[in-house]
Amino acid sequence: MIQDTVWAVSIVLMGLLAIVFAWVAAGADETLADYGPPIAAAYRLRTWLFAAAMIVLVAANYRSLEALPYVSRSSPPPAGPMQRVDVSAEQWAWTITPSSFSVGQTAEFHVSSKDVNHGFALYDPGMRIVAQTQAMPGYVNVLRYTFKEPGTYQVLCLEYCGVEHHDMKTEINVAAH
Amino acid sequence: MAVEAVASPSRIAPRTAVLAYLAVVGVVLLLMMIFGLTMRLTQAQWIDVPPDLFYVILTMHGAGMVGVAGIAGAAVMWHFVRRHVPVSTGVFVANLVFFLIGAVLILGSGFIGGFAAAWTFLFPLPAHSGGLWSINAAAAYLLGLIVIGVGFLLFHLDVARGILSVYGSLGKALGAPQAFGLAPEKEGPPPAVAAATMVCIVNILGILLGAAVLVISLVNLYVPSFAFNALAAKNMIYFFGHVFINATIYMAVIAVYEILPLYTHRAWKTNRAFYLAWVLSTVFVLIVYPHHLLMDFAMPTWALVLGQIISWLSGLPVLLVTAFGALTNVYRSGLKWDTASGLVFIGVAGWAIGVIPAIADGTIAINSVMHNTQWVPGHFHTYLLLGMMAMLLGFMTYIAGPRSLYGVAPTGLWLFLVGGAIFVLAFLSAGSSSVPRRYAVHLPAWLPYDRIGAIGASLVVAGTLLLVGRFLAVLRKAAQEPDGAP
Repeated sequence: MIQDTVWAVSIVLMGLLAIVFAWVAAGADETLADYGPPIAAAYRLRTWLFAAAMIVLVAANYRSLEALPYVSRSSPPPAGPMQRVDVSAEQWAWTITPSSFSVGQTAEFHVSSKDVNHGFALYDPGMRIVAQTQAMPGYVNVLRYTFKEPGTYQVLCLEYCGVEHHDMKTEINVAAH
Repeated sequence: MAVEAVASPSRIAPRTAVLAYLAVVGVVLLLMMIFGLTMRLTQAQWIDVPPDLFYVILTMHGAGMVGVAGIAGAAVMWHFVRRHVPVSTGVFVANLVFFLIGAVLILGSGFIGGFAAAWTFLFPLPAHSGGLWSINAAAAYLLGLIVIGVGFLLFHLDVARGILSVYGSLGKALGAPQAFGLAPEKEGPPPAVAAATMVCIVNILGILLGAAVLVISLVNLYVPSFAFNALAAKNMIYFFGHVFINATIYMAVIAVYEILPLYTHRAWKTNRAFYLAWVLSTVFVLIVYPHHLLMDFAMPTWALVLGQIISWLSGLPVLLVTAFGALTNVYRSGLKWDTASGLVFIGVAGWAIGVIPAIADGTIAINSVMHNTQWVPGHFHTYLLLGMMAMLLGFMTYIAGPRSLYGVAPTGLWLFLVGGAIFVLAFLSAGSSSVPRRYAVHLPAWLPYDRIGAIGASLVVAGTLLLVGRFLAVLRKAAQEPDGAP
């Protein structure tokens, strides 16, 4: 899942930065006879790092912005069957109609709230988030998700909404076919 | 530009005022950390705290930490910027008094009134308590934030006035002419002035917008027909919140610019890249806030895309200028580490390392599965606890003089560092496993993350207790030293 990739890449990059800081800290008590050449080399390195960072930045943003989760009138319809689903949130319960689907079916959730801000988060049967959007009073947020595996999905509230926030959950059933 | 140090007449010595700030910071920081530890212990199911009290503690922890970070940053910034521009000690002290009045109101709203709408008070939650808190309790909380905001607004206006009196314009004080090659680098402002200018620009705007949404929320409590657009309110709250909390880091980093060179005997290099970084950071901090609303699909798509791109760009000045500057300043400099220099260096590392998970969270495709999971407190505790607060604790140790550097202080540093690393990694790991943030009750499958996090939090509290305790123990003697010390 994307979460595992993000975790692994983050840990590697964070670890590399930590190693650089630790290496500089460990050698700080030594004194250079001439600070000039190393600092000049460091600034050359920074120029290269800047260039590399810009390439990564442009590539990562170009790639990741290709598929946005936002649905608009101009969004193309999904390849398979789509079901409109009305989702209404209020302290501290979800009303989801309908709440049974099949694998391969795309649910188009129309998410709103009757009172305060809530967060509509769809957890797969392994309890990992697969999609989410906010439920805000006065707005309808449209989220599409195509079910890939059968089982019981959980909907949890991910925007703090009061004392029963942690208990604001419901289930969605997805049949094999 | 050479600027002579100036002072403003006041009955309170500036050094005493800074030490008073730090004493308040130390005590409030420890209290808020204990609140945080209480939440982690509750989630770990090692102690039993009922949900209504848990969410009060959550609200107090958030508001308290943001406030104390602001006060801590103000102490660092004021201490150093007053060497270059005239500032008022009276206004500085007034800010602390406003903070304390606001803190009493906020603590009262929570622990007496039961207010628990989180520190972000997302409209219209303060008016929808589900019977748990009264309208008056919500009003006390909002009023407390307004009072604190008034103090900070006065503080920033006074610093901005001082800067303008010396530099003539905020652009010059920020180093904009140097950034764009219109003036020689050597004529640029000192780092403390550039940083203070950036902070004044963004925080004055942020506080004004924050005050507006606070007043709207306050009126709505008593006049429900005075409704407001929830999305507009969220934009205003996150603009204010993002700007304010990020400004605390930009204030604290002045301690790095000023303290590290004293140890390395190398001046902090203020070249064109340095000034350009501060100019860009000023713009980025003001326009990046939509990355908090990436899951608000009703937002204009262009604003959310902008939020992602600016999130990525924002990391560059931090990593390639400040972090790189600290590394080159320290590299084989003959520096002899002690608690103060160690903490400010850890602060730069924490800030830089925290950029990585922050950028991840600011990416729409990742935010779709990470938003409001524990990844979020994971990344912001990396750059606020191990970054900003490490810088602050370094400044606290430095200003108290040599007597605060030794004894239990090095042990405090190591406990803080090791515990902090465990603490933030437990959050990040849990976030990647979809564990929600801000839950009073956790599923059994989530307990390992909570228990490791609670152990890390315990070490952080122990380390901070040693560092703050050492500072408070020597405070009396530190206050008797002349105003220029250290």
